[in-house]
Amino acid sequence: MGFIGSLIVGWVIFPMVLYSKQAQPMNFDHALHMDPERVFGIDGDTETERCLFCHAFRDDGTFAGIPKLENCTQCHDDPDMPLGESEEEQAFLNEYVADEKEIPWLSYYRQPDCVYFSHIAHVNMGQMECGVCHGDHGQSEILPPYEENRLTGYSRMIWGKRISGFKENTWDRMKMDDCAECHTEKGQEQNNACFVCHK
Amino acid sequence: MKLDRRNFIKLMVGGAVGLQVTPLPWKITDDIAIWTQNWPWVPVPAEGAYDHEASVCSLCPGGCGIEVRKVDERAVKVEGREDYPINPGGLCPLGMGSLQLLYNEDIRFTGPMKRVGPRGAGVFQNISWDEALEILSGRVNVLRRDSRPEAVAAIDGNPVESTASLLIQRLMQTIGSPNYLRVPSFEDTDRMVNLLMQGVDGPVAYDLENADFILSFGCGLLEGWGAPGRILGLWGKWHDRENKRKPTVVQVESRASNTASKADQWVAAAPGTEAALALGIAHVIIKDGLYDREFIEQKTFGFHPWNAADWKEHQGFQGLVLSEYSPRKVQDITGVPAERIVSLARSFAKAKAPIAIWGKGKGDLNGSLYESMCVHSLNALVGNINKPGGVLVLDRLPLKQLPETPLDPIAEAGLKKTPVGAAAGEDSPFAANLLTRFNEALSAGGPSPVELLMVFGANPAFTMPDGGSMRRALKAVPFIVSFSPFRDETAFMADLVLPDHMAFEKWSEIIQPRGVQYPLYGLGKPVVKPLYQTQDAGETILKLARRLDKAAPEAFPWKTFEDIMAYRAEGLFEAGAGLVRYKPAQPPWSWKPFAEPAAGFKSSKDMWQKIKASGLWYQPLDHQRAAMTTFKTPSGQFEFYSTRLEMKLKDLNKAPSSDLVCMPHYAPSSPPSDSSRYPLAMVPYDMVNLVSSWLPNPPFLNKTLLPEQLLKDASYAEIHPDTAKAYGLKQDDLVQVESVAGEVRVRVCLFEGAMPGVVYLPFGLGHTAYDEFSRNKGVNPNDIIAAGADPLSGLPVWWKTPVQLNKV
Repeated sequence: MGFIGSLIVGWVIFPMVLYSKQAQPMNFDHALHMDPERVFGIDGDTETERCLFCHAFRDDGTFAGIPKLENCTQCHDDPDMPLGESEEEQAFLNEYVADEKEIPWLSYYRQPDCVYFSHIAHVNMGQMECGVCHGDHGQSEILPPYEENRLTGYSRMIWGKRISGFKENTWDRMKMDDCAECHTEKGQEQNNACFVCHK
Repeated sequence: MKLDRRNFIKLMVGGAVGLQVTPLPWKITDDIAIWTQNWPWVPVPAEGAYDHEASVCSLCPGGCGIEVRKVDERAVKVEGREDYPINPGGLCPLGMGSLQLLYNEDIRFTGPMKRVGPRGAGVFQNISWDEALEILSGRVNVLRRDSRPEAVAAIDGNPVESTASLLIQRLMQTIGSPNYLRVPSFEDTDRMVNLLMQGVDGPVAYDLENADFILSFGCGLLEGWGAPGRILGLWGKWHDRENKRKPTVVQVESRASNTASKADQWVAAAPGTEAALALGIAHVIIKDGLYDREFIEQKTFGFHPWNAADWKEHQGFQGLVLSEYSPRKVQDITGVPAERIVSLARSFAKAKAPIAIWGKGKGDLNGSLYESMCVHSLNALVGNINKPGGVLVLDRLPLKQLPETPLDPIAEAGLKKTPVGAAAGEDSPFAANLLTRFNEALSAGGPSPVELLMVFGANPAFTMPDGGSMRRALKAVPFIVSFSPFRDETAFMADLVLPDHMAFEKWSEIIQPRGVQYPLYGLGKPVVKPLYQTQDAGETILKLARRLDKAAPEAFPWKTFEDIMAYRAEGLFEAGAGLVRYKPAQPPWSWKPFAEPAAGFKSSKDMWQKIKASGLWYQPLDHQRAAMTTFKTPSGQFEFYSTRLEMKLKDLNKAPSSDLVCMPHYAPSSPPSDSSRYPLAMVPYDMVNLVSSWLPNPPFLNKTLLPEQLLKDASYAEIHPDTAKAYGLKQDDLVQVESVAGEVRVRVCLFEGAMPGVVYLPFGLGHTAYDEFSRNKGVNPNDIIAAGADPLSGLPVWWKTPVQLNKV
C-alpha cells in the first residue's frame, strides 16, 4: 500500500504540485506565420532563416528572443483592419496593437541568469538548426501552457518535460549536461570549460 | 485492513522504499541546488537590446562625459566617455553609483505633492501639476497685489551662469523681490580671487596637465576635488612609471587624507594657518631672489613700495612678506619647521612649471578669501600665469545674455527694497546677499519678513555649515516650496513640492567645469524618458510665470527651457571659434595649433544640434590667445594690492583701515569667547566615496565605508592617540563633540594621521531624510560648525570650529 501510494505521489501528484500552469496571454500560431504564402517577406531557404524573420539577431549580434510588438505591427499595423478572420487576432489588435502595449509572453526557454548563451555562436558558427534545441515549436498551431517550477522559478522545458529525466530527443532538455553532451559529440570539448557559459 | 503497529510500519517502509523509485527525492534535491544558485530576490537586469547613450554628468560642477549603457529603455550602467576631454574614460564613485539616484522611489518625489504631516516628517499627498502651480501662483499673485513682492524669496544652488540660475533670477525680478540668495560655494571664492587679483569675473583655471610641481593647499585631489574624473585620471598619469615628467605633488593639510598620504610630500600645517605658510614660502622665494623678475616688474602691481596719489606711502607685498613672514615666525604660527618651509619654497620656485592651488576637500564649499589670495600670490611670484602648466586667466564663456527683464511698477518698487540679511560694508563688500545673514534675520524672532520661500537645486538644511541656523530659519517661514527631485531635508520642511527631473531625465548644462583651463560648455542629455510625473524645473518656472498677473509674458518669450539654452548658446556661435568633437590624440591642453581650429558651423542652429549630439563645445589652449589675454584690474596688472577693493571700500565710505585689507595676509581666526571651554578644533573632511553635496548618497557607496567610519548608525571622529590619552579615551568610546552651536555624539577612532588637538568629522553623514540607507546614519558636522564669517567674503568659516570633547 505504502509502496504504491508513494509511487502515485512521486510520479503523478508531485509533478502536478511542483509545476504551476499558466496560459500564454494569447495564442500564436507558429505554423501559420511560417508559411511564406501567407506572410510577406518570410521566404527563406531553410526553416532557420524563416524563424529568424521574427526571432532575429540584433545588429550587435545579440539574439532578440521573443519578438516585441513592433515586429507584429510591421504587418498588423491597423487595429481596425485584421489580416485574418480569427477572434484571436481581433482580440490581439484591440488589446495590444491599439494601446501599443507589449504582449507579456512567457518564455519557455529562458536559461538561468548564471548561464551565458550565445545564439549567434550556435546558429551561425555552429550551423545548427533551431529545432535541435527547440524541437518542432515552429510548426505548432497552439501555444502550450507555460509551466513554471515553483521552487526554482524556471520553465519546465529547461529541466525537461519528462519527470523521469530521460530524454529521447536533443530538444527534450536544456540542462548543463545536455550542452556538454553536444559539445563533446561535435568535438568542441574546450567549450565545456566552466567560464565559457558561467561568466 | 486494520491499521495496527505492524501494518503501519509496513506502510511506512513501503512508502519510503517506493519514494526512492520515483523522481521526487532526486528532482527536489536538484531543484534545491538550482534554487540556491539563483535566488529569486537577487535583482537581474531585464533582457533586451543593448544601447549606449553619450551624455554629460551634471551631478557635480566637474561635468564629466558619461556613457550610459541601456538594456531597452532601462539604464544599467554609467561609464566614463573616452571621447570627452574632461575625464577620458574615467569616472568618480558618485557617477558610477548615480543610477541609484534615478531608480529609487524611496529618495525621489514621483510627482507634485503638498504637505499633510508635520514639517520635517516627510508626509505628503499627491496633487496634480495644475493644482500645484495654482497654489504657488495664487500665493505669489496675492503678495504682489498687496504690493509686498519682497516677501517672496528664493534660494538657488544651481551653478553660477547656468540657464536654470538665470531663469530663477529673472523670475524673482519679474515678481519684484530682491531676496534672491545663492548657496555659498567655491565659485564665490574663486571669482572673488580672480576679480581682486586678475580683474576678471571668471572661474579659476589650472593647467594641471602641464604642471610639474603641484602645491596643493588642502585640495582633496583624491577626494573628489575639481572635476573628479579629470583629477583622478591625472593622478594616474602623474604616477605612471613611463611618465618621464612625473610632477611633484605636495599636500598641505593637517590630516593624513588619501591625497596627503599618497603625495610626494605631506606638510601638516595647523588648520587655519595655511595662509601664513603660503606667505612664509613667498618670503623665501623673495629673499632668495627666486621670483620671476620679468613678470613681477612688468605685469604686477603692489609688489614694491609706492606712493599713492594722496602721497600716502604703501609698503607693498614684498615689504609685508619680508617683515612679517620669516620662516621662523611662520614656524611658530603653522607648526611647520622653518627648514621645511625653506626647502619647499626653493623646490617650488625652481620647478619649471610650478602651480599652487586652493579649495579644501572636494572644493565644493567656499574658502577663505585671504588664504586663497595668499596661495595665488605664489603663482604670480613664479610668474606662472597664462603659461603652460600655470594658472590661466579665463573670461566667462561667451554665452549670450538674456534680454533685460521688463518690470511692472510693483516689481520696480519691490526690487528697491533692502534684501533680507543684506550684506554691506567692509565685512563683505562684494556680496549682494548672504544666506547666513538671511538665516539670522529670519530666525531672530518676530513675524518672518519672508512669507514664501522657493528652493532650487539645493538642500541647505543639510549642507549649510552654519550650526543649524538654516533649519531654524526654515521653521520661521510660513510657506516653503521645494523644487528638489529628492526627498531631502529641505524638501521635508516644504509645504509644496514641485519636483524637478533627476539629472539623467533632462537637458542640463555644465558652464565651465570646475578648475578646467580651457573654455568648455557641456550639455547633458536625457538618457532615459522621465520615469515619474516630475517636470524640469526650468519648464515649471516658465509655466509658473505664465500664471502670474500681467508681468510675465513679455519677460518669458520662450516656449521651452531648451529654447533658452539654445538662445544663450548663440553666443558661442558668434564667438566664431570652438570645436564640438574631441579627439583623444589632440587634447585641448596640448598648446599646439589645431589643423582645423573651428568646425565651420552653418548657423547657430546647426551648432546647437551638434552640441546636443556631442554634449560638448570647447576651445583648445593657444599660446597666442594666452599671450594676448590681459589682466583687467584697474591697474591692468596682476595686483598684489587690490585697487578695485580699495575703490569699492571708498565708494562705501569705508576707506581700508590698513593696507592689509587690500592685500593677501594671514589673520588668526577670532578666538572663541571662552577658549578654555573649547580647547580643541573640529575640522570636517570630505571623502570621495561619500556624497556631501545637496544630492543623496547612492546606497552602494555606503558599502564602501570602513567600519571605523560608519558602524551601524554611529559615525566616528578621528583623533590622535595623544589627544585620546589626554581625555582618557579609547578606540570606539562614545563621545560628545561640543561647540558653541551644539553637540553631536560620535565614536572615537584613533588615527595617527590626525593632528593632535584636532577632531575630524566627515561630511556627508547624518541625514535625517531620504531612505533607510542614509537616514540617521552618523552625524553631520555642519550641525556644530560655528566660527563666524570669513573676512571680506562674509561667507561661513567652516574649516575650523573650536570644540570640546566630553566622554559619554
